[in-house]
Amino acid sequence: MPSFGFFEPILIFTLLNVTMALGLYVTALSGQLSMATAAIAGVGGYMSGVLTVKFGVPFAVAIAAATAAGCLVGGALALLTSRMRDFILKLTTLAFGEALAVLAFNWDYTGGANSFTGLQLHTGLGTCALAVAAALFVAWRFDQSRLGLAARAVRDDPLAAAAMGISVPGIRFTTFALGAAIVGMAGAVQAHYVLVISPSDLGFFVSLNYIIFLLFGGLQTMWGPVLGAILLTVLPEALRFANEYRLIVYGVIIIAVVLWRPDGLLHRVPLGVPQRLFGIRLSPGRPARATASQSSGAPLPQLTRTAAE
Amino acid sequence: MDLLLQQICNGLVIGSTYAVVALGFALAFSVLRVVHFAHPDIFMVGMFSGLVAANYWPGLGLIIAIAAGAAGAGALGYFAERTIIGPLRGRDILTTLIGTLGLSIVLQNGMALLVGPDPVAYPTLVPARFIDIGPVMLTLRQIVNLGLSALLLVLVSVFVRFTRTGRAARAIAERPDVAAAFGVDVARICQITIVFASTLAGVAAVSVGSLYGSASAFVGLLYGLKAFTCMLVAGNRHIEGVVAVAIGLGIIEALVTGYVSSSMKDAAAFVVLIAVLYVRPNGMFGSYAT
Repeated sequence: MPSFGFFEPILIFTLLNVTMALGLYVTALSGQLSMATAAIAGVGGYMSGVLTVKFGVPFAVAIAAATAAGCLVGGALALLTSRMRDFILKLTTLAFGEALAVLAFNWDYTGGANSFTGLQLHTGLGTCALAVAAALFVAWRFDQSRLGLAARAVRDDPLAAAAMGISVPGIRFTTFALGAAIVGMAGAVQAHYVLVISPSDLGFFVSLNYIIFLLFGGLQTMWGPVLGAILLTVLPEALRFANEYRLIVYGVIIIAVVLWRPDGLLHRVPLGVPQRLFGIRLSPGRPARATASQSSGAPLPQLTRTAAE
Repeated sequence: MDLLLQQICNGLVIGSTYAVVALGFALAFSVLRVVHFAHPDIFMVGMFSGLVAANYWPGLGLIIAIAAGAAGAGALGYFAERTIIGPLRGRDILTTLIGTLGLSIVLQNGMALLVGPDPVAYPTLVPARFIDIGPVMLTLRQIVNLGLSALLLVLVSVFVRFTRTGRAARAIAERPDVAAAFGVDVARICQITIVFASTLAGVAAVSVGSLYGSASAFVGLLYGLKAFTCMLVAGNRHIEGVVAVAIGLGIIEALVTGYVSSSMKDAAAFVVLIAVLYVRPNGMFGSYAT
């Protein structure tokens, strides 16, 4: 692998964040925006860390185990929230993540409040590139499969989807478990780069970062989360010149994007190809029917606005 | 037995503050359908407004601090409504969440820039004195905090129930389009609601600042998450429900702190939240109709 010197950590974190965002995207495709991403990533991290440090398991096996662990936790969370609707579901995942963080904080076997240390450096650019490639492949295949279409149907209108013979709980469970598996893998890869896993990394405010990636980039195509993750990982670094005003500028940029493009930077287009980016045409447009929902800026037809005016 | 009563009283004091902040969330969520994540930071700004005023006019103490806290938080609430919440009203709930979160990042780090990231000492507004009430012993500050919170909660109740604006706000919470058709100025009522909630938070913030004797730019994080949990557990239909849950949460936390350990007390809130939402997905007292 070539060395990128000073930029290597930034590059690695960008790739890791893209992986996480894609995992979250897969879950979000069925309308469940998980707010426990950091906690699931933490489970993956703890899993791989304990395996490699305490049991001497090879790195690759530990990653596989972490992926499985993420999948299990995601599945459990999906079962727990199966009866809940939209908004409450999101907030239950929030509480679930916080509860996991507190558990990690109090569990002495994994170091408790003192963090879990002693991990070996296994992750390089190559590993991260592999992880991103895997996540991109899964998300891309998923997007186009019958499963992905069913997930979209469930997101847009669970009742109608159920009437068409789609198992709503089944789809929710599958997407949650699949997304969580990707997140768990990313968490394990990240843990072997950062070398420390502390309970505070599992908290809600870390999870929130990943959600911001999604909403910033737009969650109608898989490229939205990718773009959001790249921009928002690089942005704070690029803003280093602003010193202590850095986070303030970061906040202002988030506000500005939300005000001007409330559905994210990339909008949904036919073929799943980004059509316009910052107003620049990337691919030829389609006749009126396809672009109507895009130009109005409304989320999607079925998410009709409830408030007046 | 005395420890039990004492912890229940401590829980009551802190729970009443959770209740005031949680009601701000609940008002914003019911009337505007917005998750107002900057609300705890408006609370924080109110705390510092009170601090500045109390340092500037030391003689006037509590009254001037409360007035300044209310004014600072109210003005910021108005600003937030005009710039971010208002334009995003009617959007998907997550869009407003991210927008207010951006504001929250700006406020926290802006304040940290002004006063430093570490907690600063709060001026003495209420003398440190202990008062025995039967078997329990409370500080005067705790009693002032409890009294102020109770007053604010009554104010909310009166506002929502007996004023024209409050009735209009409830109508909007029920059906915004119908309320608008009946001549309710939806945008204006929403503004008033946010400013009202922010003002209350400002008053509560000054009282909390004097209770603990310190203020920090990141104090909103703690109260935000707790108050938010309360609103979720209770559901947003009845304000009394939110108050009851907030006080219950305060008492549970105090009991866990007293009998188990203080590091477990945060877990208590979330375990209760998950359990309640699993059994009653619409909150304990119902309704998240959005």
